[in-house]
Amino acid sequence: MSLRLRRVTVSNFRKFRQPVVVDGLSDGLNIIIEPNETGKSTLLEALRAAFFVRHGTKNQLAQSYAPHGDAVAPEVRVDFEADGVGWQVMKRFLKNPMAEVSSLGSRAQGEEAENRLHALLGSVKDTSQRGDPSLHGALGLLWVAQSEALAVTAPSQIVRERVRSTLEGEVGTIMGGTAYRRVRDRIDRQFGDYWSPTGQRRGRQAEARERLDTAETKAKEAAERLAALEQDFSELEIARARLKVLTRDVADGADATKRKDLQTSLETARIAAQVLATRRAERDTADAQVIALDDLDQRHVAAAGAAAKAAQSLATLQIEHSQFQTELGTAKGRLSEARVALTTAQAARDAARDALAAGEVLDRRLRRARAIGAARARHTELLAYEDQLATARKAGATLIPAKVIAELEASDRAVAQARAVLAAGATVIQLTGSAPQVTIDGAPMGSEPRTITSEVRIAVGGGSILLVRPPAVAASAEEQLAQALDRERRALAAAGAADLSEARAQNDSARDAASLMKILEARIAAVTPADGELDLAAGSAALKLLVAGLSDQDAPTHERPDLPGLSTQLAKRETEVARCEGVHQAALDALRKLEGAETLLATREASARSDFDGAEAQRRAIEGRSEFPSLTSRLSATREKAVQAAVALAQAERDASVHDIATIARKIELIDARARAGTDACNRAETDIARLGGIVESEGGKGLAERAVTADEEVEAARIALLSVTQEAETLKLLRDTLGEVQAETSGKFVGPVAHRAKRHIERLLPGCEPSFSEDLALDGIMRGGISEACLSLSKGTQEQLAVLTRLAFADILLEQGRPVSLILDDPLVYSDDARLDLMSDILADAAGRMQVILFTCRDRAFRHLPGNRVILGPNSLSSGALQDGRSSP
Amino acid sequence: MLKFIHTGDWQLGKSFGRFDQETRIALGEARFDAIDAIGDAATKRGIVHVLVAGDAFDTEGPSDRTIVQAVSRMDRHPCRWWLLPGNHDYARNGGLWARVRGKAGKRITVLSEAEACEIEEGCWLLPAPLANRHNLDDPTALYDGMETPGARLRVGLAHGSVRDFGSQGETRNQIAPDRARRSGLDYLALGDWHGTVAIDRRTWYSGTPEVDRFQRDEPGQVLAVTLTPEAEPEVTPVRTGRFQWLVRDWTVGSGEALNGELDRLLAGVEPAATLLRLSLAGIVRLSDRIAILNRLEHHLRHQLRHLELFSDDLVGRPTDEDLADLAIEGMLGAAATRLRSRIDGGGPEGAVARRALERLFVEHERDEVR
Repeated sequence: MSLRLRRVTVSNFRKFRQPVVVDGLSDGLNIIIEPNETGKSTLLEALRAAFFVRHGTKNQLAQSYAPHGDAVAPEVRVDFEADGVGWQVMKRFLKNPMAEVSSLGSRAQGEEAENRLHALLGSVKDTSQRGDPSLHGALGLLWVAQSEALAVTAPSQIVRERVRSTLEGEVGTIMGGTAYRRVRDRIDRQFGDYWSPTGQRRGRQAEARERLDTAETKAKEAAERLAALEQDFSELEIARARLKVLTRDVADGADATKRKDLQTSLETARIAAQVLATRRAERDTADAQVIALDDLDQRHVAAAGAAAKAAQSLATLQIEHSQFQTELGTAKGRLSEARVALTTAQAARDAARDALAAGEVLDRRLRRARAIGAARARHTELLAYEDQLATARKAGATLIPAKVIAELEASDRAVAQARAVLAAGATVIQLTGSAPQVTIDGAPMGSEPRTITSEVRIAVGGGSILLVRPPAVAASAEEQLAQALDRERRALAAAGAADLSEARAQNDSARDAASLMKILEARIAAVTPADGELDLAAGSAALKLLVAGLSDQDAPTHERPDLPGLSTQLAKRETEVARCEGVHQAALDALRKLEGAETLLATREASARSDFDGAEAQRRAIEGRSEFPSLTSRLSATREKAVQAAVALAQAERDASVHDIATIARKIELIDARARAGTDACNRAETDIARLGGIVESEGGKGLAERAVTADEEVEAARIALLSVTQEAETLKLLRDTLGEVQAETSGKFVGPVAHRAKRHIERLLPGCEPSFSEDLALDGIMRGGISEACLSLSKGTQEQLAVLTRLAFADILLEQGRPVSLILDDPLVYSDDARLDLMSDILADAAGRMQVILFTCRDRAFRHLPGNRVILGPNSLSSGALQDGRSSP
Repeated sequence: MLKFIHTGDWQLGKSFGRFDQETRIALGEARFDAIDAIGDAATKRGIVHVLVAGDAFDTEGPSDRTIVQAVSRMDRHPCRWWLLPGNHDYARNGGLWARVRGKAGKRITVLSEAEACEIEEGCWLLPAPLANRHNLDDPTALYDGMETPGARLRVGLAHGSVRDFGSQGETRNQIAPDRARRSGLDYLALGDWHGTVAIDRRTWYSGTPEVDRFQRDEPGQVLAVTLTPEAEPEVTPVRTGRFQWLVRDWTVGSGEALNGELDRLLAGVEPAATLLRLSLAGIVRLSDRIAILNRLEHHLRHQLRHLELFSDDLVGRPTDEDLADLAIEGMLGAAATRLRSRIDGGGPEGAVARRALERLFVEHERDEVR
């Protein structure tokens, strides 16, 4: 059924300070075209206030109804029809709030009025601060305020359930929403007591687990403490048993008796030991006496023996010594004889040696004298040769060198040539007669022809001068000759010769002298040989030196001595000497040997004498001692005594070995130690018992066993509780999961029919497109050409259009169910292009055939073509009266 | 003639840790109260001697409070209390009994030595104390060596199970069943078995004065014994116990059947002093099961001192009607169907699913009730 608003009166409501009335609203499409700011949206607010806002509320929304700054009571009154019956609702807010609903003569006020409205419109009480359209039932979805127009929102819970219950027959299932929600809410709450939203155990489960853990910890602790106490108890028992045994042991007298016996034995043993010591000392004394006497006797015998032996030895040696003295005398005689012979031989030899030496000296003097004579002769020869050599050397020194000779010969030839040339051109003058005044060039002229080659002045006396001038050729020839002569002169000067022939002769004699020199030098060398006799070196200088040093002695005149004879004599004497020396040495050696033997013999004799003296002295000393006379008898008596002492000692030893003091003392010590250990152990046991007794008393008083049992039982109880809690948790989990699954599954069943209805409208706008809805019946998106597009990705215009169309679809479904629906759109389709606007206008016009549709708009032109009831929003009521558009709908 | 109270197995200081705090305290206190009940019973009958046949204390190491409570309760009554160490409270040096002696007055005698004592002229008590938690020998064998000069009456006091008596006794020290005859006893007072049992005319287990476990329905009691030489003992049970520990196994076909059983049970007991271990079995409608558990959990549990409920064997099977109720709720019905198929799968998961289904019904019913 359609809900049809007929008349709305608003006063003191926001901008409507003065009453405003909208009247004449028709069944179908109503268009209220007003400029901005005239209060179209306020009118929609007023309608919502009248139907859904509790009159008594002072919430923010209600507060906002009062005109700004006025403390007045906003009031709304609406006349409407539902299911063909006329209704009137009237509400006043804030001041003296009231609500009144009347229909068919029945009237309700206050809460009752509110409840009637809820029952009629399917809304629920709105306790929100700002108003919650989701609680307004179907009209919450279908009365679209300007701000809500764009959103493709899901229908509210109430609307969903209405829609679903409408479709239950069609899908063959039911949601059972209300009961489900109650059960579900309760189960969710209970679930929350056991589980976290992510399925983690918490709350009661965690508490139960913790209780068990705590109980287990406590039980463990209690059991441990109890076990410790039990341990102490058993230790105490053990200590007591030990003490009992120990006490018995300590009390036992066996050890004491034994100790007493041992003590007695110890005394006996001590006495025996003393006797033993005495006997041992006695035996030792007797032994010592025997030894001393024995020693004395032996020493006496030894001394006497030694003296006798030494005496015999001394006698033998003395005899031997005397024999030896004789031998020694003989040897000495022989030696002196040998010495005399040797001296004689030596004298003879020395004489021979002297004779030979004298002969040799004489011989040397004779040979030297002879050599000096020869040297003098050669010296004379030498001097002669040296004179000759000096002469020859002088001649040889005039030899002109070959080069000088050649130059000489060449210059000679040049002079000859120049002379020839001069002769040919020169003028020869010759003064004949004597005329001494005549001079030529200042010099007397002479009578010799004179060849002139250059101008010459001949003073002829009287001051006259005869000038002779030879031809020019003569002059140069003369020059050349002069040169040639000059050359020749220089060459001669060099050669030291007057002329060439002289030079040649000079050269020949020089050459001869050189040959002579060589001969002379050889001769000189021959006469100056070396002479060993005179220590003379070869050479003339040595010879001259020797000769210069010689005195003019006379040569000796002795005969030459017989040197070989002298030598032979000497050799004979030497041999003699050697022989004598041998004899002498032999005698000497023999004597020395004898002397050595004699010394040895003397030493032995001395030693023997000393031995004898020593032994004899000792013997006498022993014999001099007082005891010596009775020695033998005393010795035998002492020996007897020693034997007796030894026997007594053996007896004492046997006696002492019967009671060993150390052993007895050890046994006593053992018994004492045992007693001490027993006492110590007793003390320890007592201490342990006292300690453990203390522990047992203090710990026992704590009731540990009772505590342990209690703790164990608590563990058991906690375990059972945990089991039950876990069971409960699992149960709730399963139930909640199952409820969730069922809800999802069931919700899915309703999506299809909703989509199907929406498609009818949407297809007109977007041909060939499939709308898709989520389980909560929100439009998710559309499928176009196999491509899915989410609502949010569509254009604003399309979104708005889809929002209107899905609302229309829900309105249709609710209409089917007979719910009171009407569609109010505040300034819709602002984003639509002309074509879409036309199409949407047509769809809305169609819808208006099924339900009342009220459009608020400020766009006169956009909706001008729409056939519908034009309503004026006028002050002070007075409705426009319906300006019915004449045009019929397309 | 000798008159005495024969009791034992007080198990003082028992912790009852598996119970909730309140019950735990109540049960613990009840054990001390039993001493007063015994003292009163003795006084009322002019009886002086109270023979405690072992296990007066639950452990060898109880708390001081337990000991002091026990001692001071005993001291309040004009009785002679003869306490025998049992296997729970065995005698050892420096142990429990040394502590008891340290706190006890003159009325209390601890029989920690196996020595006969003349409690009245010509009346000898032959104690067989235990010195260990586990004892292998027959402690009463020592009776043969005990001198009781001038005895007119010989009373044995021992703790342990009688040989071949059954496997439920706790101790291994098995007592010869004919010990009274063998040792010429006029009466053998035994402890260890928590119910009252007569082995022969002169050999008795007194049972515990306050029951401490689910074993038998009867409340705790003691025995008032009168001995006369050459005559049979006169033995009279006297109730001292406060709490009844009941064990019930019920097979239930419907909610009504259970209600009937419950009503009958409650009519015969003091609910506040009753502990009930209830095991339910049977197959009922799921809605019935929910209703039954609802009554037990939300009503009976609060009526009784303690309820231990085993209901796993009470199978709640949803009927078509049950399921139809849910089916109209759409998704809840679908959930129920899913869970049912899981239950059919069996196994541990099936068990969880069964509980889940039950819970679903419970929560749905709760709405319905509202």
